[in-house]
Amino acid sequence: MTELKSILHVEDDPSIQAVARVALETVGGFEVTGCDDGQHALETLAGFKPDLILMDVMMPNLDGPSTLKRLQADPELSRIPVVFMTAKIQPAEVEEYRAIGAADVLEKPFDPMTLADRLKRIWEDVHVDP
Amino acid sequence: MSTPEEVQEQLAALRANYQIRLNSDLADLHQTALELSESLDDHVRLKTLRDGLHRIAGSAGSFGCASIGLRCRDYEQRTQMWLDSSATPEAVRMLELCQGLSVLKSELEQMTKGGEEASAADVDVPALDSPVRISLVGSESSEHRGIADALEGFGYAVTLDSNPKALAQGGARPDVVIAGYQSLDPELSALFEPKGAPALILLDRTDSFDRRLEAVRHHAKGYFVYPIDIPRLEARIRRLASRHTQDPYRVVIVDDDVELSEHFRLVLEGAGIDSRVVNEPSHIVAALRDHLPDILIVDINMPGCSGPELAQVLRLDDDWLKVPIIYLSAETDQDRRALAMRQAGDDFLAKPIGDGELVSAIKVRAQRSRQLSEALERDGLTGLMKHAALKEQLEIEVSRAQRMDAPASVVMIDIDRFKSINDTYGHATGDYVIRLLANLLRRRLRKLDTVGRYGGEEFVAILPNCSLKDAERIFNEIRLNFSQLDCVAGKESFRVSFSAGIAPIGPSSHGEQVLEAADQAMYEAKTGGRNQVRLAGSAD
Repeated sequence: MTELKSILHVEDDPSIQAVARVALETVGGFEVTGCDDGQHALETLAGFKPDLILMDVMMPNLDGPSTLKRLQADPELSRIPVVFMTAKIQPAEVEEYRAIGAADVLEKPFDPMTLADRLKRIWEDVHVDP
Repeated sequence: MSTPEEVQEQLAALRANYQIRLNSDLADLHQTALELSESLDDHVRLKTLRDGLHRIAGSAGSFGCASIGLRCRDYEQRTQMWLDSSATPEAVRMLELCQGLSVLKSELEQMTKGGEEASAADVDVPALDSPVRISLVGSESSEHRGIADALEGFGYAVTLDSNPKALAQGGARPDVVIAGYQSLDPELSALFEPKGAPALILLDRTDSFDRRLEAVRHHAKGYFVYPIDIPRLEARIRRLASRHTQDPYRVVIVDDDVELSEHFRLVLEGAGIDSRVVNEPSHIVAALRDHLPDILIVDINMPGCSGPELAQVLRLDDDWLKVPIIYLSAETDQDRRALAMRQAGDDFLAKPIGDGELVSAIKVRAQRSRQLSEALERDGLTGLMKHAALKEQLEIEVSRAQRMDAPASVVMIDIDRFKSINDTYGHATGDYVIRLLANLLRRRLRKLDTVGRYGGEEFVAILPNCSLKDAERIFNEIRLNFSQLDCVAGKESFRVSFSAGIAPIGPSSHGEQVLEAADQAMYEAKTGGRNQVRLAGSAD
């Protein structure tokens, strides 16, 4: 199994972006690229293929689920696992995101000290299931 | 790889910055909830409240404010419930939420006690008492006459002077001189150099960075390209005598050092400041149009165009006059620093600079700008009366109308699909549309009428001695007129409309009631398809 190395983090709130950068880059040792919305993410993905995409659900311009749909339409990008991050409370919505193809859903707020480990575990799960 | 101590340090810094932003976010939400308690069926505002609470619910826990986050989640659920049921919340519930938010704010302040204290701004705001005198110089008479007529319509005292040298001789000195680029010569431009000299606005046929730079070197304070956009010119003239501030915290960094500027951007972003980098000075105008920063950080030594020169180029345009310019430089020579500050610019930061120092310098500036805006009674964007003053005036007009037993009408005006204008063309264009309507209203209404900016894209007009029927006729004309104006956003042009509701001031009505009735009629105009005028109590 390949190791999780690079992450594209899509999040419109600059504070969250900054704390996630510390959590993923400094604590987790991943290579992190940040984008502030789905549109920007799609542009970035034209030139950069991360191992995993960590994405906020509610964003201006293009939100998480719509971005995921666009990714799935592209054979190359559809292989990259997408993890949603959301402050939504209803379990039904979490199920819904799984149903449309999210690898997992993490709840906001997250603990910056454990976020990297959680993503590593999700990465392992994705690769156990062929 | 960083040590655990370093990680904690980084997180602590992010936490401190987040808490500063959280404090102001809570204040904003408190204000929104307070306003909602007076207009409970305002779904747009209710959504703003929900989104703000949602954001805090999802973030506070990552920055050591878990309990605040949890309570915001609770409030978010409540607002969501109101939105889902589309049942209007009770005022008392909204006020509870309001109180809850102010409790959260004081808890946060307890937590972060010992933080910086912004001193009251010591800013000189020039008053605008007597009419501004404008002199139009040069020989392009037919165009100039058109401009003069338009400006007189705004209440300015305008004279046409064919001989620019006459300005040098005494007489009533103009406050603003508008001149064609061709009439510039060193002798003329020298008139505008001393402090307190009239402000020079140049009109030009071609637009280029070089020409703008040259205009700055001739001491110009404004620069417009034919065909002249009258509302912008008027706003510029008005702004030459007043200050204007804008709410959100946004920063543009101009520095030819790519890595350093990116570092600054990251630091500021980390503190919750929306930041953008420009590495090539000549790209600044596009970046500013796009981003509308609250603060501009400029490197002083850049190839091609120095920091102070760039600052002066920006001072030619209204939208950026309000932007404090902070120079960044390794310059230690006091004289050269002082010179740079005199030319334009508001502050000096020495390189190398610590991240904390940078953040606090920017935050303090932003805070001062806000204090200043609150101190101003007139709406900075339009020069119209603001909400509070407007309500006072309404009470005066209501009692006057009742005393004189004369008809009077109150009009509520709201720009149609304004959010989509902002979303499509950016906030600068949104502001431009607001100014356009403000200027049109001012021009078309009588001196005894009152017109004010009631909220974001909402205006209120009070028309004494004017029947409902007359008010309807006048506003249908204005509506038609407005909907046919071409608004310009970059290379695109588009059209905008407004919806209006009119209510009469009755023999026993209160100001609040009249306003509500006008608002209700305006709402009917919206639901009836927009771009129309409705009268209160005539739902058809």
